[in-house]
Amino acid sequence: MVVTWITLLAAGLGAWSVAAATLPLPDYYLPPPTAVLAAFVDLTVKGILPTYVFASLRRILLAAALGLVVGVPAGLLLGMSRRVADFFYPLLNFFQSVSGIAWLPLMLVWFGFGERTILVAVNYTVLFPVIFNALLGVRSLPPLYANALRTLGAGRWRIVRDVVLPGALPSIATGMRLGLAYGWRALIAAEMLVGAHGLGFMIFNAQSFHLTARIMLGMGLIGLLWVVLDYFLLRPLEEATISRWGLVQR
Amino acid sequence: MTAKIALKSLGHEYVNPFTRERVVALDGLDLEVADGEFLTVVGPSGCGKSTLLGILAGLIPPTRGAVLVDGRPVTGPGRDRGVVFQEFAILPWRTVERNIAHGLEIQGVPRAERAATVQRFVEMVGLTGFEKKYPHELSGGMRQRVAVARTLAANPEVMLMDEPFASVDAQTRITLQEELNAIAQATRKTILFVTHNVEEAVFLGDRCCVVSRRPGRVKALVRVDIPRAQRTWKLFTSDPAFGVIKDHVLRLVRAEVGGEEGGR
Repeated sequence: MVVTWITLLAAGLGAWSVAAATLPLPDYYLPPPTAVLAAFVDLTVKGILPTYVFASLRRILLAAALGLVVGVPAGLLLGMSRRVADFFYPLLNFFQSVSGIAWLPLMLVWFGFGERTILVAVNYTVLFPVIFNALLGVRSLPPLYANALRTLGAGRWRIVRDVVLPGALPSIATGMRLGLAYGWRALIAAEMLVGAHGLGFMIFNAQSFHLTARIMLGMGLIGLLWVVLDYFLLRPLEEATISRWGLVQR
Repeated sequence: MTAKIALKSLGHEYVNPFTRERVVALDGLDLEVADGEFLTVVGPSGCGKSTLLGILAGLIPPTRGAVLVDGRPVTGPGRDRGVVFQEFAILPWRTVERNIAHGLEIQGVPRAERAATVQRFVEMVGLTGFEKKYPHELSGGMRQRVAVARTLAANPEVMLMDEPFASVDAQTRITLQEELNAIAQATRKTILFVTHNVEEAVFLGDRCCVVSRRPGRVKALVRVDIPRAQRTWKLFTSDPAFGVIKDHVLRLVRAEVGGEEGGR
């Protein structure tokens, strides 16, 4: 698996180098991988890249925290009553599908060209899938579990703690993973339009100066950072809950 | 002697959400269960047996009549009445021992005492060695053993069982029935056991309550005067006394299903 990946990567970089060297195009159309590497070293030494990466990560992690602290409890709470859940389901579904990017024009009018708009857009984008999936998680739990616990003498709080929360956990993990994936896209878009920092700002700004290598570097990092975040944080979380409990239960 | 459980002209009606028809599930059902008695309730599908059990558990409010346990009216679920459900109702995210300990946790029993009690019931239902397993790693029969142990460990006054062995295979069912018989003998708990299986009802019950087709009423109460110690499937299939009672109950049930195959 790892060997295949390395071979593939080497082949890709080789083909890219050859194409960059031989195609009759101006330099800024397709800079070679070495130019991207040079841009990486240059921007890192100058401290610009770390600042931008940190700015983008800070924004997405803030949104993740808000999703966890506000989105999850909100979704659980809404999911606990069938009537409330039925009422909010279409609303949440609606707002989940109007992505933060679609809100940007309106948010620019309301919150101006600045950090505030970026944060609102990203938090919004993360929040709805998180709430929506937490609600679904609670709703899809068979009432049998709560009923069984009530016959053992459990009160409301005990049922939330022992049934609702663990039962909805796989769905919560899925919601967090989805929400952050959407949020990461929205963040880059928002940074492109309003940012003064961040990877989105970096690639959009570089375009005005034909700094193509810098654009490619930014794009590569956007993908790479997500893969790392997903692989080391979100996927293990999701898998731990789903596989351990064998939620392909019958 | 006052009855452990008394059902007084119990009625339950509901509106079917699909057909919008009014359904009378139970109509004036009177029944008394003595302390320490094992009463089985048998009747055709849809006769309201499960509704009856849900009402006793306090999960379904009756629309008419009253349920008394130890002379006190039932107003909701409570730990004096433990329930073993037909579907697997143990929590998939808890291990066997944590599931069995759940009732004790809720009662606030200290950890050390809890562990000792759990161990006792793990042994009683034959799950030694499976304490750390999750339900999805167990067979259907083993999951129902966990459910029975969870209810027993919580030490309820009354045990309510809703076709608990209906979804396990025939071999396992026989084993579970023999085990439950032994448990009933050992614990002397008051048990109300709902089933549509006539053999099961006769094999397990001190008395067997035949419920009429909907709207459910008590059609007959049949006493099964065979000591618990003699209740093994081997004897059950050979002892003519068992056979006579079984045929009698079967006839009563078949009359209710109107010639269809009653019992299994």
